[in-house]
Amino acid sequence: MSDAIQGQAGEPDPSTTDGGSGGEVSRRAFLKASVVGGLLVAVGSSRVPLSQALAEATADYAMIIDLNKCVGCRACELACQQRNNLPEGKSYIRILPKGSEEDRWFLPVQCQHCQDAPCEDVCPTGATYHDKSGVVLINDKTCVGCKYCAVACPYDARTFDEQTGLVDKCWLCLDWVLGGGLPACVQACVPGARIFGRRDDPEIAALLESGRVKPLHPEFGTEPGVLHYIFPGD
Amino acid sequence: MAEHHWGWLIAIYLFLGGMGAGSFLVAALVELTGERYKHNYCPTTLIGAGVSGPLIAIGTVLLIFDLGAGLREPWRILYMFTNFSSVMTWGIWILTLFLPICFLYGLLELMHVYPGILAWFRKWLRFLPEDLPYRRIKQVVCSVGSVLALGTAAYTGVLLSVVEAVPFWNTLVLPALFVVSAVSTGMGLTIDLAATLAVPTVQRRFEYLPIIHIVFIGLEALLLGLLLVLALNEGGAAAESARLILTGPGSVLFWVIVGGFGLLYPLLVHAYALARHAHGYLSGILSGVGIVIAGLFVRYLIVAAAVPVAV
Repeated sequence: MSDAIQGQAGEPDPSTTDGGSGGEVSRRAFLKASVVGGLLVAVGSSRVPLSQALAEATADYAMIIDLNKCVGCRACELACQQRNNLPEGKSYIRILPKGSEEDRWFLPVQCQHCQDAPCEDVCPTGATYHDKSGVVLINDKTCVGCKYCAVACPYDARTFDEQTGLVDKCWLCLDWVLGGGLPACVQACVPGARIFGRRDDPEIAALLESGRVKPLHPEFGTEPGVLHYIFPGD
Repeated sequence: MAEHHWGWLIAIYLFLGGMGAGSFLVAALVELTGERYKHNYCPTTLIGAGVSGPLIAIGTVLLIFDLGAGLREPWRILYMFTNFSSVMTWGIWILTLFLPICFLYGLLELMHVYPGILAWFRKWLRFLPEDLPYRRIKQVVCSVGSVLALGTAAYTGVLLSVVEAVPFWNTLVLPALFVVSAVSTGMGLTIDLAATLAVPTVQRRFEYLPIIHIVFIGLEALLLGLLLVLALNEGGAAAESARLILTGPGSVLFWVIVGGFGLLYPLLVHAYALARHAHGYLSGILSGVGIVIAGLFVRYLIVAAAVPVAV
């Protein structure tokens, strides 16, 4: 039972996230947990602080960008371009200048790995999907390059690859991450504004619960799952 | 213009899909009401039935050109039938069902008008009867096809209107506009253009025709105006899109080609026809050209003026 609730709350246990078919969690326990979890969300949604909701998000990973530290040096943008062999001037990361000339700050934007991802809904081939850890990925075997996902992404985080004719975007350098490393942008960040790790990592968990960490444009309603920000002054 | 990932190819695809569906609808209506059989020769059904298939086929080919992997690995197109949460998947299904019906209707209409075609087929397909109950077959084809035609026209609008990331598109006014414009361009092509070319005095024969034209052109202008006013009212990215069209790089296209030549001029021609029970041969043809061109540029302007929400 407790296992099932944990599964609901976002500690993906491979046996429960794989369609809930087997393992030690019985169907009944799973259903019960779903009902209890649903009630908790329904009753408590107005009282649960945003930071706690983020900590309970289903994505396994969190990338937190502290905008108080970001200096807009574009090292992450360049690292991303080189890591993914992108042509000159192309990257999965855009650095947007914000604020006024006297009070300048920078907003790095890439795929937010939304939990309710419009790109996934509009993709006619089903090439865009959430992997078990909640990361949004594109299957390059089935993507047909229609660009509907790129049109539908409110963060404008998708690019079109002229070479392959397919759409691509930030994939969190998942090969490196699964091997115990860090995404290229995190490694490259000069002022150390990017923090990346598993949600159950004590440092990440503490940050997520601190109340300083917020999603970018929650009003879009797409529930960013991995990318979160510490906004200037927070 | 903004041209956010999609441009001309998609605009022409939406236009041809709409005009193909509209031509089918007009021809099917003339067929089902029996109006077709009141004359020796009906260019509207002949052209409407004949061109809807090719128009939509050309549109689909353009869509495939726009797909990054459409020409490189065309089998990937088959995957586009699989995700039913995507409006594009619905559209692919509707088009796949509608396209053969368009070609079937075109063939039936041609065979009906030119009996020699059936005789030619019978050289190879000996089992075919000497005559076919064309009217009865066409009634079924037109009825089923009309539903799919409406679906096609609506799909071209819904495809854009579900995109929340582009506030200018994200309204039900858009599919309504595209459906009305589909019928309007269908009428422009099959009545103003085809019928006037074939029977120069066609407008004299149908007193109610100018009224239908005026209603559809008026409705199209109204919905287009509504789309833009609502966008301006909403502010933000939607208003920016509207300004691109009204006062920005799209303004000449919008006011001169769409507003002047595509809406106002045909409206005047048909108002004149309503009052005088006739309009000139040339003005009929020009009005048809205007309506069709407006249909194309309205879609281009709307596709190209996609300003995404500010991040």
